[in-house]
Amino acid sequence: MGMEQAWLIPAIPAAAAGILILFGKYLPRKGDWLSVLAIGTSFVLFFFVLHDLTDALARGGEFTAVHSGREWVRIGSFNLRIGFQVDQLAAVMLAVVSFISLMVQVYSLGYMKGDKRYGWYFAVQSLFAAAMLTLVLADNFLLLYFAWEGVGLCSFLLIGHYHERRSAAEAAKKAFITTRLGDVGLLIGAILLYRSVGTFDMSTIFDAARSGQIDHAYLTAAVLLILLGAMGKSAQFPFHVWLPDAMEGPTPVSALIHAATMVVAGVYLVARTMPHFQVVDGTLVAVTAVGLITTFMSAAMGLVMTDIKRVVAYSTLNSLGLMFIALGAGSVTVALLYVFTHAFFKALLFLASGSVYHATDELEVTQMGGLAKKMPVTAAVFTLGAMSMAGLVPLAGFWNKDELLLSTFENHNIFVYLAVLVSVLITALYMTRLVLLVFTGKPRNEHVYEHAHEPGPAMKLPLLLLGVLTVFAGFVVFDGVGRLMGLPGGFGEFVFTHEPEVFRINAGVTASSILLVLVGIAGGFYFWGGAAERAKAVGEKMPQVYSLLRNKFYMDDAYQWVIDRVVLVVAGVVSWYDRVIVNDTGVNGTADATRFSGFLLKFHETGLMPNYALLMTVGVVVLAVIAFIVGT
Amino acid sequence: MIRLESFLVLSAILFSLGVYGVLARRHAVLILMSVELMLNAASINMVAFAAYTSPERFTGIIFAIFIITVAAAEVGLALAIVLRIFRNRTTANVDEVHQLKW
Repeated sequence: MGMEQAWLIPAIPAAAAGILILFGKYLPRKGDWLSVLAIGTSFVLFFFVLHDLTDALARGGEFTAVHSGREWVRIGSFNLRIGFQVDQLAAVMLAVVSFISLMVQVYSLGYMKGDKRYGWYFAVQSLFAAAMLTLVLADNFLLLYFAWEGVGLCSFLLIGHYHERRSAAEAAKKAFITTRLGDVGLLIGAILLYRSVGTFDMSTIFDAARSGQIDHAYLTAAVLLILLGAMGKSAQFPFHVWLPDAMEGPTPVSALIHAATMVVAGVYLVARTMPHFQVVDGTLVAVTAVGLITTFMSAAMGLVMTDIKRVVAYSTLNSLGLMFIALGAGSVTVALLYVFTHAFFKALLFLASGSVYHATDELEVTQMGGLAKKMPVTAAVFTLGAMSMAGLVPLAGFWNKDELLLSTFENHNIFVYLAVLVSVLITALYMTRLVLLVFTGKPRNEHVYEHAHEPGPAMKLPLLLLGVLTVFAGFVVFDGVGRLMGLPGGFGEFVFTHEPEVFRINAGVTASSILLVLVGIAGGFYFWGGAAERAKAVGEKMPQVYSLLRNKFYMDDAYQWVIDRVVLVVAGVVSWYDRVIVNDTGVNGTADATRFSGFLLKFHETGLMPNYALLMTVGVVVLAVIAFIVGT
Repeated sequence: MIRLESFLVLSAILFSLGVYGVLARRHAVLILMSVELMLNAASINMVAFAAYTSPERFTGIIFAIFIITVAAAEVGLALAIVLRIFRNRTTANVDEVHQLKW
């Protein structure tokens, strides 16, 4: 078992998904154990692959990704492979996807108990794991696109898990359509590259791009279209509107798909296609700009939202924006480190808010308060996750935020650096706010408070494991920790763009980051401590700003307006044209005219055989004469 | 040696007679006989061409045998229909059988 057998990692959950969809309801416990077993096996197999990879790296020399797989379709020169590749980038993603999937599925055993579509839920979970693992292993754009749509489909199915609720059905539709807008970009981008290079294989395309084989304007268009795909999936401005609504799905789904794995697929895609972005000037600036806008809008909205899951969702948007800023700095290391640590603490935050919801049936923080007394473990791990998100030393979130700041400080202009610093402050503010509102102070709703209780063991175990990782995952930046795990060194020497990056600390940058986080947390206590009166006062003092943020910058309304007034009107005209002109007039009209003329003509029939025979003969003779004249 | 054209002329005359019979006769059985005449005209054509253009191959002759077979089957079927019409309407005059319309 080595890197050549990496295809087994997605294949096992895929097989489990197939069995569960077809025969799930005949299996004991509706087959949840099969789903967990499959992803567990994949997680174990990942270590074999990782071991093989570190062996290959230790051997030294130039390491190139190990390809495996087989031909699928060959039509002339068109060759389609189901090809997988293992390199450091894929290994990090594999670790994140397989581990978080396993944790979330174990958690779901407790969280989804008694759900009426319990078996279906686990079947789709398996399908998602298979698609996501294929996505990170794919070595050509077509297979990547296939998996890309696969995770989109699973996201749609899982957001709409409670589709009897109208808001859930609408949210699923919104998520699917919004990400599709980006997906089309990815598909066109991949086809453009195929037309230019003649293959979908990524490494060949990268070589062609580097050596300048592809026309520059053409490559720019392709890269920007691929970026569009990444923006859609990673919910970057202006596609970010779908992610907060996606919280309609079950909470473990939000943890898995809309925090740790699927939404970072865009970051992965940009990291994977980084050679393109580096060849074309200006595209990295676009990446940075998109990341900055997303970071700021989401951080500002996170300050005022009152739905616990939505606040966490805005913090996810915030993190995704920061990952894009890291990519904009050209640093795959920082972006992937962010993906890696973010997966743990964000999944933890979601799963912890899931256990709050599971116990109280309440998502509004205005109804909570003082829950720490009733559910101390949940409160502890949630606080841990929130502080990691805020970037408190020495939790996981601190290290990636520090690396990000350092890399923006060195690679971007000072404006971007200061902007990221401000976002650090805001993040600390609203994460503190969330913890204070949910877990401290007086209970605002006695009924909710009465119901609160700690979750069962199936839910507690993932929370504790993720809590431990939230404390320790950040230490992978150190060489010593990396070597202890059998890697060549710290994270920067494992995943990098061109050459290994050694972990450094710039005293000024680190000090300012720590200071700002502490100021943010203190500010959180100042504004939202006790009965949160100071925050209310601020909100009342600036009602326009408050309502602007509460209404999500009116972007949802603007999109709705465009859909109602433009898209639906145009669609109405097109569908009228199709129905009336094409179908009723063109297709049915011809048929009706034929039938009606037949109806009129049939009354001229005599029914006499000799008449018919005579006409036939005359006809043949006339035709013969014409043929004779024309022929000569 | 009789020339090929003589056979073709004979065949044409027979065919024309057949056409005339089909158009002019009123009795169904006579019309059938005229149809047979036309089929035979075609058979003569086949055999004549076969003998004159490629005597080493039997294509035309086999065609003629097929035509005879099909003609026999056709007459069997057609006479049965004529018989049914006569039973029903006590006539085999095609002018009086004009139900074949809307």
